[in-house]
Amino acid sequence: MDTSNPAAFVNAELLHFYVGRRVRALMQVIRSDGGIVIGKSTDEKQLVVKGSPPPAPLTTFVEVFGIVNNDKSISPEIWTNFGDAVGIVFPSHSSC
Amino acid sequence: MYSNSSQFDGNAAFSGGGFMPSQTTQSADPSFFPSKNRDAQALLPLTVKQIHDAFQSSDDKTNLIVDGVDVNNVFQVTLVGKVCNKVGRITDVTFVLDDGTGRIECNKWLQEAADTNVAEGILDGMYARLHGHLKGFQGKRTLNVFSFRPVTDFNEIANHFIECIYVHLYNTKIRVSVPNQQNVMNSTPITPTKGYQTQAVPPSNQFSGQQINGQKSVEDMVLDVLHFPANRARIEGVPRDLIAQNLGISLDKLMVAIKSLIEEGVIYEAIADHYKSTING
Repeated sequence: MDTSNPAAFVNAELLHFYVGRRVRALMQVIRSDGGIVIGKSTDEKQLVVKGSPPPAPLTTFVEVFGIVNNDKSISPEIWTNFGDAVGIVFPSHSSC
Repeated sequence: MYSNSSQFDGNAAFSGGGFMPSQTTQSADPSFFPSKNRDAQALLPLTVKQIHDAFQSSDDKTNLIVDGVDVNNVFQVTLVGKVCNKVGRITDVTFVLDDGTGRIECNKWLQEAADTNVAEGILDGMYARLHGHLKGFQGKRTLNVFSFRPVTDFNEIANHFIECIYVHLYNTKIRVSVPNQQNVMNSTPITPTKGYQTQAVPPSNQFSGQQINGQKSVEDMVLDVLHFPANRARIEGVPRDLIAQNLGISLDKLMVAIKSLIEEGVIYEAIADHYKSTING
């Protein structure tokens, strides 16, 4: 059991506290060009993910696990596709 | 299926024996466990850091206490995290679960073909939901997994952390206040007391709004309601029924508290059955 290097969940506001450390961030992909992915963080700010391109086509929402370069960008190590809809969605039909 | 319990009423969601011992059993059992019977095991959502901290702080390493609850004997735990370093063997599969707060080793014994199929479906880097039992071996904590499945709806990750927070707060705050209420109701104070004060205290000292062991007298709670900014702004005062509704107490009890507060000069009746506090915020 190892809690020495937890990768905290961050939004854009918290990024500058974790520069040089490993974090995980959920973001909505806005644009993806080769090695750079621009996304919107959970607090509506822009995030730039520069580095190894994602292995598979990205869904709308992805989780990036990597090291923070500066207060706006992350070097990714692992990408996880979270699907096209995250958060509370109220269905139009009554039962769920 | 992920959409299992109702997400809106915390008490209803958690009172079905799922996560915490029900309050009805607490008065009978001073140690606040439902029973040591394994059939009555309940499920506790935890993060790896909570397990680690409990392990570090407990003197007796065989019995892990998290938030005052004996995790080893009574509870199973549930975690959500990313699977790493998966090693699959014929009889079992071992992996490390990383939930963002730490990493813990997990072991799942494969007893049926269905287990093997599920195990093969879970790959490194995937998020999974685990249920299991904490075990210690040579000073190292591992999780003996009873069931695991991949997470398909990623709202489950946020939901799991919210559940961990809720259960943590429930176990540390609400359960602490339950024995205090029982003590105060059993004693017969003439003046209202705050929990463990045994000598008579001048009433003016009792309205400082301080909490002792999480227990507030009815007077303090009435004052808290009157001190809400929205209620302070009411020129006509706060209606008596609204106070009773906010605190969930009967009108009789409320009127006793209000009467003594008026006698102390702490509140006054602005218009009929509406009360305001005299204390400036």
